[in-house]
Amino acid sequence: MNATVADRLVADYLARLNAALRDLPAARREELLEQVSEHIATARAELGDQAGEAEIRTMLDRLGDPAAIAAEASQRPADTPEPAQPRAGWREIGALILLPVGGIVIPVVGWFVGLALLWSSEQWSVRDKVIGTLVIPGGLALPLSLGLLTGSTEYCTTPPTQVGGGGGGAASVCAGGPPGWWEVLGPVVFVLLLLAPIATVIYLGRQLRRRPQTAPAMS
Amino acid sequence: MYRMVEGPRTALLAQLRRGTLEYCVLALLNDGERYGLDLVRQLGQVEGMMTSEGTVYPLLGRLRRDGLVATTWRESPSGPPRRYYHLTPDGRQALDSFAREWANFRDAVDHFLDAGEDLDERDRR
Repeated sequence: MNATVADRLVADYLARLNAALRDLPAARREELLEQVSEHIATARAELGDQAGEAEIRTMLDRLGDPAAIAAEASQRPADTPEPAQPRAGWREIGALILLPVGGIVIPVVGWFVGLALLWSSEQWSVRDKVIGTLVIPGGLALPLSLGLLTGSTEYCTTPPTQVGGGGGGAASVCAGGPPGWWEVLGPVVFVLLLLAPIATVIYLGRQLRRRPQTAPAMS
Repeated sequence: MYRMVEGPRTALLAQLRRGTLEYCVLALLNDGERYGLDLVRQLGQVEGMMTSEGTVYPLLGRLRRDGLVATTWRESPSGPPRRYYHLTPDGRQALDSFAREWANFRDAVDHFLDAGEDLDERDRR
């Protein structure tokens, strides 16, 4: 069969579904897209290579209008109203606070608590969560601890001879200190490490605001 | 199980279907785990149970979040890995109690519907 036509039909369907689900919380949208993708992939595997465009179209028709799936996803049976869940609950606010500064308040542990809150929230997509995890592990605690560790090298700009005879230890630190390029690059990296966690928090906060948790009433 | 009524009753039937479909899903899982496409096809074999195959998936997600079903990934002999759904203890309990309530409800409604039908038949003769 013409694989490209079938692939295009499927990709088009999934794109329409993704668009129809835009008002859902990210985790639920991802779950639905995965379920429907799996349905399509399993059905295509059963159809085999003989499947033509018509079979693919029939299969997608039976799946139904993406808007109908979205409508079903955004409502619950009348007698069990969806628990009113604020967009930014304690979980989300806790994650946004602990990811950048948790590691400073309670070294190491604080950041991991923030991480647990981030991953247990249903308000962020997996992509958002990966970004929140990788930028930057430890949050602001990392650049700050690096700053404290390398802070002593800043004194190296003064020639070791001026440190004085009593500072033999300090002089040796300077001698063994990082090469000159680090003195230029170091502050840049330091500033980037400071700004990145802040940018991540702003990004995650905006992701919360972008998607209303309560979808417009359907019934 | 019950007669389909055409026309203005469709809204009521949609509500009935919506409310009962999740228990049909739980009932299908009573014998063992099933993957999504399998479940959807079983439901599709009985006409009038669902509007379109895709609308079953939001329902499955809801049942999972409510803790009535759980999922396991399994490799499949053909095609991609499949997500298998199975009943949790809570799901089994929900199914059992619904089955009892539904039987009572169905009998109660049938009691009046059948009585009405008998009268209609007598009038026609």
